[in-house]
Amino acid sequence: MGKIKTIVKKEIKLKVMTKGFLIGTLLGPVIILLFSFGPAFFIALSEKKPVNLVVVENTGRLQSEFQKVFSDTLENGMPRFRITFMDSLTFQQKQNELFDQLEKGKLKAVVVIPSTIFSSGKAIYYSKSASDIDFISNLKERLSNVVNREKMRQAGVDPLLVERLSTPVKLETRKVQKGSVQKSNVGQVWAMAFVFTMMLYMTSIFYGNAVMRGVLEEKTSRIVEILLSSINAFQLMLGKIIGIGLVGLIQYLFWGLMGIVGFVLVSVSKPEFVKYLQVQPSAFAYFVIFFLIGYFQIAGLFAAVGSMASSEEDMQPLSMPVNMLVVIPFIMGFSVIGNPGSSLGQILSFIPFFTPLIMFLRVLLISPPWYEVWGAIALNIGAIVLFGWISARIYRVGILMYGKRPNLPEIIRWIRYA
Amino acid sequence: MNVLEVNNISKQYDGVKAVDGISFAVKEGQIFGLLGPNGAGKTSTMRMIMNITAPDSGEIRLFGEPFHDALKQRIGYLPEERGLYPKMKVLDHLAFLGEMKGMAAKTAYAQARQWLERVGLAEWADKKVQELSKGMQQKVQFVGTLLHQPDLVIMDEPFSGLDPLNAKFLKDILLEYKRSGKTIILSTHLMDQAEKLCEAICLINKGRVALSGSLAEIKQKFSHNVVNLEYDGDGTFVASLPLVERVNDYGHAMHITLKDGADPNALLKAVVEQGLRVYRFEVAETTLDEIFIDVVGGQHGQN
Repeated sequence: MGKIKTIVKKEIKLKVMTKGFLIGTLLGPVIILLFSFGPAFFIALSEKKPVNLVVVENTGRLQSEFQKVFSDTLENGMPRFRITFMDSLTFQQKQNELFDQLEKGKLKAVVVIPSTIFSSGKAIYYSKSASDIDFISNLKERLSNVVNREKMRQAGVDPLLVERLSTPVKLETRKVQKGSVQKSNVGQVWAMAFVFTMMLYMTSIFYGNAVMRGVLEEKTSRIVEILLSSINAFQLMLGKIIGIGLVGLIQYLFWGLMGIVGFVLVSVSKPEFVKYLQVQPSAFAYFVIFFLIGYFQIAGLFAAVGSMASSEEDMQPLSMPVNMLVVIPFIMGFSVIGNPGSSLGQILSFIPFFTPLIMFLRVLLISPPWYEVWGAIALNIGAIVLFGWISARIYRVGILMYGKRPNLPEIIRWIRYA
Repeated sequence: MNVLEVNNISKQYDGVKAVDGISFAVKEGQIFGLLGPNGAGKTSTMRMIMNITAPDSGEIRLFGEPFHDALKQRIGYLPEERGLYPKMKVLDHLAFLGEMKGMAAKTAYAQARQWLERVGLAEWADKKVQELSKGMQQKVQFVGTLLHQPDLVIMDEPFSGLDPLNAKFLKDILLEYKRSGKTIILSTHLMDQAEKLCEAICLINKGRVALSGSLAEIKQKFSHNVVNLEYDGDGTFVASLPLVERVNDYGHAMHITLKDGADPNALLKAVVEQGLRVYRFEVAETTLDEIFIDVVGGQHGQN
């Protein structure tokens, strides 16, 4: 045990005290946040400014309704829309100038409302991009509202009644968990699940590969036989895996601290954002549990791959199948994230290698019963023992073999050696 | 007392017998040579002694006990293929190797510092291993093997790849270590090294023991009339002289083994009469080199 500790200590010292670790620890969250929230962030940024619209309309009767329907404001108090009205004659005169503004982005859209709108229900939308689906559907809803209000007014409905009849519906979502109902935001839970999954995936791949590279390095630098004169192969492998796993946990600890500091800063400076950051503490515990399960499942296999290779080039094709054991669950995760209650998600969450990502997603999104969660965890611990045993058998022989990359029958023979 | 007893061990790799029923014993306080040509099974044997691989059959006893993990702490092992972590600092690395042998961290650091001082690498203590020259790295490897003051040192081809300075340095350290009562096992294919250092040897060839015992006894057994001749001219006739058993000719020097009872003087006379220019004529005892060629070469001839 003492010697495993010596190996663990050495791994941590050798890995943590490096520039690479420092950079990874500092930039990791930035990269993950950039990937997951970058696009949404830029959209949010563009929503900070009012949208300029030109409405071409000849009747002049719709303007007051427009003003009512498009009267909402942004969070900073500015109006969400700035609307310029003009008749079709002016529009024809100014068309070139307006289209130029559209292209330059000064103007978001020009909406031409023909006088036949009440019967045909058709209007024309000019914009730089016709695929701005969120914006277009929002606009469509508002235009329908405008037209309907005007229709009701024309039909002689009491203006007060018009107001009451045309109140738009807002959906507020509630998540049912452990018998209680919580206010939650689907988008926010989804985003959190995505960030966590991304982190789990990246760190599993990263630290698994670190184990593999470490083993290969010990082999190519020819220190391995010296180490084996003090410790047996299994202890050496275990020490390396535990050491690098702890480096991973240290990194998470840093990230956790950064997260807490960030949370405190945000809640002090912008208290209104705190409601977007509600993460249950149990999510962190499950995150660590599933990282450890995923890591220990994969790390032994990565160690075995490292031991089979004699050079970096050798390692690439050998590591492919093991990397796939992380990549495929990650890809499957996308379908589960969209539909966490599906039976596909349920089945996958019990299969070793899939469990860490898929069961974690289910835990975050739908809170499956405890016996499912812990049943899967128990099953996976069994898998860790089984794959650990196989890996150790391969590793023990592989680390002393140089030269040709072994083929499958040779690997099977290694496993069977006394 | 025997520090090591190897009883009839065998090891097979993919149907090839690397070691085939080897037995020998090493007495305490000896420098013991495990000799043999490349591929004879020396490294396989040493790995089995260290329990890095297990023998298919046979038994190995260290310090009178069958192998258990704690015994590794009493042994210092330097494999033929050896290296260090390139990114670790020299002092940290040595202390790490010491701790792996069960030393307390503090003692390991203190000992490592002393050793670095002794081998003239004190100012490299905080440098990374990769910044050291190859010769310096070799020194660090020796120190790493001896740091925990093992009762038994096992070195597989320790002199291969060393420059003459480092070779002498290692030899001096080993001799001093031996004088402190410790046991040393060396494997080598360099017979002159073995001859100068070892008190007992085990010569293995093709996985079997070809010869073993104390060096003095072996030399006695193989002592023929051997003549070392340095000369100029065409010496090819020497091999066909009736009193000559065997010749190892280098062109300007030859080792000549005489038939039993032959008189070296008769050889000298014959050589001079045939017109060879003689610079040196010496009646010598058999070298280990000769014995090696005799035993191993003879077996090659048989097969």
